[in-house]
Amino acid sequence: MSGADHPEYDAVIIGAGISGLVCGNYLAKAGMKVLIAEQHHKPGGYCTSFTRRGFTFDAAAHSFGGYRENGILRKVFQDFSLDKNIPITRYDPSDILLTPEYRVCLWSDPEKTIEDLREPFPKEADKYREFVAFLMNPSLNSFARIRSWTFKDLLDHYFQNEALKSMLAFPIFGNGALPPSRMSAFIGAKIFIEFLLDGGYYPDGGMHVMSNALAERFQEYGGELLLSSPVQKIIVRNGNVSGVVINNTLIASRHVISNCDARQTFLNLVGKKHLPQEFLNKLNHMIPSLSMFVLYLGMDQAFPENAGSNIWYLPQYDLENMYRSAARRSHKNISEFMMRISPNGKCILAFIHAPYRNKPFWLNNREKFIESFIIHLTHIMPDIAQHILYKEAATPHTMHRYTLNYRGAAYGWESIHSQLADVDFRRPSFLHNLSLTGHWSTQGLGIPGVAYLGYDTASTLLKRRKTLPS
Amino acid sequence: MSENTIEAEIISIIADVSGFDPEEIKPESKLADDLEIDSIKAIEIVVALEKKYKISVRDDDVPKITTVHETTELVSRLLQQDNMIHVRS
Ligand SMILES: Cc1cc2nc3c(=O)[nH]c(=O)nc-3n(C[C@H](O)[C@H](O)[C@H](O)COP(=O)(O)OP(=O)(O)OC[C@H]3O[C@@H](n4cnc5c(N)ncnc54)[C@H](O)[C@@H]3O)c2cc1C
Repeated sequence: MSGADHPEYDAVIIGAGISGLVCGNYLAKAGMKVLIAEQHHKPGGYCTSFTRRGFTFDAAAHSFGGYRENGILRKVFQDFSLDKNIPITRYDPSDILLTPEYRVCLWSDPEKTIEDLREPFPKEADKYREFVAFLMNPSLNSFARIRSWTFKDLLDHYFQNEALKSMLAFPIFGNGALPPSRMSAFIGAKIFIEFLLDGGYYPDGGMHVMSNALAERFQEYGGELLLSSPVQKIIVRNGNVSGVVINNTLIASRHVISNCDARQTFLNLVGKKHLPQEFLNKLNHMIPSLSMFVLYLGMDQAFPENAGSNIWYLPQYDLENMYRSAARRSHKNISEFMMRISPNGKCILAFIHAPYRNKPFWLNNREKFIESFIIHLTHIMPDIAQHILYKEAATPHTMHRYTLNYRGAAYGWESIHSQLADVDFRRPSFLHNLSLTGHWSTQGLGIPGVAYLGYDTASTLLKRRKTLPS
Repeated sequence: MSENTIEAEIISIIADVSGFDPEEIKPESKLADDLEIDSIKAIEIVVALEKKYKISVRDDDVPKITTVHETTELVSRLLQQDNMIHVRS
């Protein structure tokens, strides 16, 4: 082992989630000596899949956005020449919004969506064009100006019909775990762009294809990837981070980048004694996003209709109430949900927000949730129950077990205005050489968001290196 | 607090957020074009300024700051307004 003056690595990254992998690739490609340590036995974090009885299920993330020209994932794929290796299919419509009264498709061409809206919402259809024009306006400050708005303010600014507003807000609730009155307009707008206006992309074969390709490329660039290797500690001396402990062995590194849960990073790996009291108070008051309950179904025949699209079922329009009931979800109050049929038509994923609760709760209720959820799916697939060959479920505790995300949070910190854009969660001013990347570094924006953060964390570090003697 | 001190402090905040070295950041540097500040980083800067100077930046003012110098001016103006309120009360 080399001494502190000549650290073994330029950077150690804790966690091989999408953000850690993207960051690692940029650093390794630039010639840095990089180690990624991942506690699970496969890379990807929430972006991975598993196979049971011949059915391959995406474990959590099940499509991605930001793949347009200039989109962040397009850039990442091109920068690592993955665009030719990984076939990507875009499913169109990316999303289908269903209520007892309406059916609206979100197409890749907004004009087509507007035509869909014209009959049910004649007064609002053209407003959608204005809304989209605002979102796609690339000006630096158009978003900064709505910094303290909620997503509800933004929708109210463009639309009048309450049913339509709820329908447009529901996928934002699904992808951000907050109702419009609590969701920051900035994050809501970003989700609308990256998930809905430019969403629906899928790597042929499953989400793991993307994570595995990033992991392979990283190693081709000379990076080292350790799987089944939880980081136990981040070494701090006088406010300087100088390495990590893995498998009871000290590994010295110039930089440490944490892609894992922020509470774990600060409280367990760094340790309270290295944190200023003010920051500790803030950390203890930060609210994580809700977790999810995911149902995985393997079917006895293919269901090709709407395969590949996210289907959002909204039995009523009160999202505020939906959020409150999600926070105390029981198997008796499953109502709204999102469902996706895999491209081959044989696997169904269904998602619903759920609180973390405790172990006994899920031991007693897991089966009841599965049965009740299947009954609810009959709203859109009446004969589903007769065709199920295999069923499995992930509870919030499963989410936690596989990723160590605090309380199984689906999207890192809750995207409320007061928790937005705090630099201490990206580059804590009191700990030199430590950065955080991923959905806990304050913006929980799904795969495009964490890929951007991975890119940005790496470019910041590389800029610094140019100007600092190494 | 003199405008020069504020400028140095603001440059250090912008350096933290943008990743550029403070030496490379000039008063006339354009946030978007020269310093690669995108919308998320613009918000990070505003949040950091509000925290440091205990001021509150109006949303309408955010689009008006396009250079480092304009950022310094805005903060100085808000601090002066703050002072005046303290003097009067
Ligand atoms: C059910 C569900 C569905 C979703 N669907 C979508 C979707 O369709 N599209 C989309 O864009 N987004 C979706 N998201 C969100 C998206 O999955 C996440 O935003 C994104 O994957 C987070 O990536 P990350 O790299 O920030 O973190 P994570 O994926 O959480 O990765 C963190 C990694 O760190 C590792 N780790 C933790 N502790 C340690 C340690 N001590 N040592 C070593 N390694 C450690 C973990 O094992 C993990 O691999 C979904 C999320 C959920 C929960």
